[in-house]
Amino acid sequence: MTDRRAALWTLLVQLRAVFIKEVRETSQDRRVVFLLTVAPFIQLLVFGFAINLDVDHVPTVVVDLDGSPEGREMVQAMLADGTLAATSPASSVQEAEAMLEHGDAAVAIVVPPGFARDLARGEPTEMQVLLDGTDPSRSGVASGAVSRYLGERGLDLARQRLAAATGGERRLPSVEVRPRLLFNPRLSSAIYMVPGIAGMLLLIITTLITAMGLAREQEVGTLEQVRVTPLPTPVLMVGKVSPFILVGLIDVTLAIAAGATVFDVPIRGSMALFYALTAAFLLNTVGMGLFISTISQTQQQAFIGAFMLILPGLLLSGTLTPIHAMPGWLQPITLLNPLRYFLEGVRAVLLEGARLDDVAFQLGMLSLYGVAILVAASIRFRKTVA
Amino acid sequence: MTGAGEPTVIEVAGLTRRFGRFTAVDHVDFSVRRGEIFGYLGANGAGKSTTIRMLCGLLAPTEGDAVVAGFRVSTEPERIKRRIGYMSQRFSLYPDLRVRHNLEFFGGAYGLWGRHLAGRIDEVLARVGLQDLDDSVTHALPGGIRQRVALAAAILHQPDIVFLDEPTAGVDPVARRNFWSLIRTLSEAGTTIFVTTHYMDEAEYCNRVGLMVAGRLAALDTPAALKARHVPGRVWMIRGPSLGRPEARQRLAALPGAIQVQTMGAGLRLRLSADSPVDADTIRRALATVVDQPVEVEADEATLEDVFLAVVDADAWRRGTAIARGEGPP
Repeated sequence: MTDRRAALWTLLVQLRAVFIKEVRETSQDRRVVFLLTVAPFIQLLVFGFAINLDVDHVPTVVVDLDGSPEGREMVQAMLADGTLAATSPASSVQEAEAMLEHGDAAVAIVVPPGFARDLARGEPTEMQVLLDGTDPSRSGVASGAVSRYLGERGLDLARQRLAAATGGERRLPSVEVRPRLLFNPRLSSAIYMVPGIAGMLLLIITTLITAMGLAREQEVGTLEQVRVTPLPTPVLMVGKVSPFILVGLIDVTLAIAAGATVFDVPIRGSMALFYALTAAFLLNTVGMGLFISTISQTQQQAFIGAFMLILPGLLLSGTLTPIHAMPGWLQPITLLNPLRYFLEGVRAVLLEGARLDDVAFQLGMLSLYGVAILVAASIRFRKTVA
Repeated sequence: MTGAGEPTVIEVAGLTRRFGRFTAVDHVDFSVRRGEIFGYLGANGAGKSTTIRMLCGLLAPTEGDAVVAGFRVSTEPERIKRRIGYMSQRFSLYPDLRVRHNLEFFGGAYGLWGRHLAGRIDEVLARVGLQDLDDSVTHALPGGIRQRVALAAAILHQPDIVFLDEPTAGVDPVARRNFWSLIRTLSEAGTTIFVTTHYMDEAEYCNRVGLMVAGRLAALDTPAALKARHVPGRVWMIRGPSLGRPEARQRLAALPGAIQVQTMGAGLRLRLSADSPVDADTIRRALATVVDQPVEVEADEATLEDVFLAVVDADAWRRGTAIARGEGPP
């Protein structure tokens, strides 16, 4: 019993030695310290502001060829929710088209002559909407806003007319489709992006730094010296990656704090669940880093190896492009990507206040992949080290 | 301490290591006693490092076995690691860490901690004479000092045996001499030293020397015994102008019992067999007609380099391979 306790104590002493050594070696290099702590924060801000997918204040030119109060009212109502914002009005369709062409406006609303008269007579009337299609997501939202409004307005008119004709209030037998955006009602891209950027930063930083770590020891020759000590391989591995798991947790905390204060990212779910997802994700990143380092002889190889993995990892995760927008054959590949599960889980927890059973699948997949990668890495690691 | 009468701490029997079809170490047998300084000599690629790596438990033998500090390398390499210290030919400390932090890490790897570790670090730093440098960043230190730090790291856990793989490669002569005096102090305190080198002058410091040639242990004995057996006879050093002429060399080589003529700086070095009748006068007379001025002739001593070359030549002769240097074997 005392023998076993002594052996366990030795393991702890060894683990502590590796951990402290790793921290000292890393903190020795000020540039690395900067990269690990300040840079993620700056990147979050830069990305948060730069990747602006918000569709708001779409410049809209109004061509009112009717000049009637009804037409003006209609246009005012369409602009009311702020999605569309009026620029200086145009006096002709040609002028409006020119403005679209020059980029002075992205939407043109044309109220045709006789609009009020036709409306009063109960005759079909038209309103023309021209959209600049160069930015599909913006034009999509703008056309949505316009048709939603016109649809509602049409129904209102029909209801009024029906009431007038039948002499009483009657419900129209129609189904009304109203898209309501939950969780991110303002469609703010920063709110959506912050968890993505946090995941991206974790992936890049922790994968790279663990990948370079062991490769550096091989390159410098210190690994040889470590191998003649009785330091067990698992202790060496755990001691080497745990500082970077810690760094990852600190970075993600900074990122979420910055997201909450600067971009009003809500934190609706439990932070414990958020950290659980992050920790499970970090098992994947350090596992991949370790794996790469075991197949690299030099730091340069490790860097390139990590880069080759990180790039598709980012692109096929749903961070920058929604997964449903990818080609069909590509979509199943994202099921292999831990970042995808991290994003789904973290977005659900932060934005929707998801509970453990809501994200159990994501957490489970992250843990499964994490353990699998770590096992693969430790087998390779054992071969490299021993 | 010479190791005589001391217990055996390394026992090697039929130790062999192959890499594919290449045999790096070929059925090597020897034993080392406690407190000995055991030198392992050989050209690059002769199998020195491979042997040391097997003895340290870093590399499994293909065939044969060795018992190091009471444990078999084939089955108990992890237990060996606690009892030995190792210093590789590459500088292998963390360059970005301070000296003390390096030692703290390696001490921790051996399970040392707290006050005991701090005490050991002070002790080993004092022993290698670097107590004032414990706060220096390792990569800023000159090569000779770094090797002493590496030695300090290797003896931190008070190992029975210290393996030194070319410890003085690329170190200046003064630092080499200091390093060797450290090694002698260690050996006097009862630590067994197993050292590989290709500096022949360093091998003179060893109690016994093994010569590796192409994976095999071609000779093994004390430096004096090796010289007596492999380079018997006498050695003469001849100095003077115009010895660079080929005729001078030829005359010397033609003397009865001449084994080898070497160019040494501006002079020639003549090795003779033990039964050769040639003396200083004979040499002067032989050269009289080819040199313009009288030459200086004095008796010289055989070195381990002579031994090494003789052994390598004998080995090549025995194998029937071509002798590249054009000078016949004994």
